Amino acid sequence: MRRVVLPALAVVLAALAVYPTVASGYGVRAMLQLFMWVALAGSWNLISGLTGYVSFGHIAFFGAGAYATALAIARWHWPWPVAALAGGVAACLLALVIGYPCLRLKGPYFAISMLGLNEVLRALVSYFEGLTGGGSGLSLPTLEATIPIYYAMGAVAVAVTALAYAIITSRFGLRLMTIREDEVAAEAMGIDTARHKLAAFLLSAAGPGIVGGLFARDQGFIEPLSTFALVMTITMIVMVLFGGKGTVWGPVLGAVVLFVSQELVWARFPYVHQLLFGAIIVAVVLLMPRGVLGVLQQRYRLPRTI
Amino acid sequence: MTITPQMLGQVVISGILAGALYAMVALGLSLIFGVMRVINVAHGPLLMLGAFATYFLYHGLGLNPYLGLPLVMVVMFGVGALVQRTLVARVVDAPELQSLLLTFGIAIALVNLAQLAFTSDIRSVEYLTASWTVGGFAFSKSRVIAGVLAVAITAGAFLFLGRTRLGKAIRATSQSPDVALVCGIDVDRIRMITFGLACALAGAGGALIAVMVAIQPEMGQIWTFKSFLVIVLGGAGNYPGALLGGILLGLVEQLSSLLLTAQLSEAVSYVLLVLVLLVRPTGLLGGRAT
Repeated sequence: MRRVVLPALAVVLAALAVYPTVASGYGVRAMLQLFMWVALAGSWNLISGLTGYVSFGHIAFFGAGAYATALAIARWHWPWPVAALAGGVAACLLALVIGYPCLRLKGPYFAISMLGLNEVLRALVSYFEGLTGGGSGLSLPTLEATIPIYYAMGAVAVAVTALAYAIITSRFGLRLMTIREDEVAAEAMGIDTARHKLAAFLLSAAGPGIVGGLFARDQGFIEPLSTFALVMTITMIVMVLFGGKGTVWGPVLGAVVLFVSQELVWARFPYVHQLLFGAIIVAVVLLMPRGVLGVLQQRYRLPRTI
Repeated sequence: MTITPQMLGQVVISGILAGALYAMVALGLSLIFGVMRVINVAHGPLLMLGAFATYFLYHGLGLNPYLGLPLVMVVMFGVGALVQRTLVARVVDAPELQSLLLTFGIAIALVNLAQLAFTSDIRSVEYLTASWTVGGFAFSKSRVIAGVLAVAITAGAFLFLGRTRLGKAIRATSQSPDVALVCGIDVDRIRMITFGLACALAGAGGALIAVMVAIQPEMGQIWTFKSFLVIVLGGAGNYPGALLGGILLGLVEQLSSLLLTAQLSEAVSYVLLVLVLLVRPTGLLGGRAT
């Protein structure tokens, strides 16, 4: 298995690395967005797929990272790669503040608290106009950096996927999955569940924070509505559920399939498209809770690390 | 700005009126959680359906929104029972993750169906737009009537839960589905009825706020969060706790609108949620949350 997968992976990565030299501007942009979705879906999977704690507001970390990065660039003139990393740090800090009270409890507290977080951040960003530009948005100095951002976004997507692999094959990952299957049993086995959940949550916030920062730099302009968009959280969730939650490659598969079909067909019918997302969530939960990859794993006895 | 006792009195009364409405809607969410251990993320979008139903009854048939309310409740009971029987019933015994995701999917589907069917135009029911002035306080008529009706409907729901055989069966199922089953209660049927009842309460909420605020497909989401906040304040699965939580949320929102700005009142409610989860996660009256 390893003999086939590793070379195949190397070929794909090499092809993606030379892609900007041959592709059109549109191709590079589309691939950059695909990287973004791989990173976002993979990050959501780290907390929700592995521990079973559903985050309904994960885009809040994307937004927090985007605003932190944009402020660092526009107001303090930091170079964009450093500013994007600072976006990741900001998202982790936010995750710490929210995760500490909400993750100590079992049950849906976390899910709904995350649902509210996104709305509240959007309201706060709109309110503190002096700092964030409020509803009229925040512009960054112009900079032509699509290709460096392509590589940076790709690096984050690879890092998130590698992190998922490292976690799923580690004792830490096994403990997270124990929490997902039976939290009381996990506690009885001596797992410090609150700390493990918080650690997974911080890891899952870092990726969206950095990606948000890169997004802000790439767009050159951000405003609250499109930065804290609930539909983006929905998209992440649909990608992971479709591909297979709790797996390494499920979020990647989901991101590729849904992003491509979204680009080709659905972008023209916004409400039908979102209605379809709702229907996919309902259908996957009821008919195929393990997602496409989970079904394949079961049917063909593939290893758990696929 | 100086705050006069007059303003404070106005805020307290408006807070209680709004709180009664929150309590009624949240009681529905609390009932579903108590009986099924399911947090219904689609609660707000179901409330939105109630508001649209009121709008179409008013503009289509010329029906007075308050006379339309019982009709909306009956229809929403049916919608709820149907949603429960066809979808939610399949995940009641599954891990929590499944039911959260399922109701989230239903919520998205409902909002976007409404976008397709009704467009995102902002609509309103212009009925009772005036205010009453009593002893120097001014009250919008629709808010006073909404508060009073919410109290009446909530009281009715408590009487039903406390006094009738069906209500007792619901409480028994919420205490222990297994024991209830052994005692000869048809637990599946109780779950369906409870979901229907909860949707009827959400629909009543939608009907009452249709007269007060703009009606559009995305109006519901914030109500899912507010209802959840109410049951966290009062204690999840603690039915009288929803009353206390509702009034408390109403007061906090009105006070923060007065002292800060209306824009920040949601953020203040959110801080309140985080604080309660930190200090007293079982809610102010204590619940059965773990």
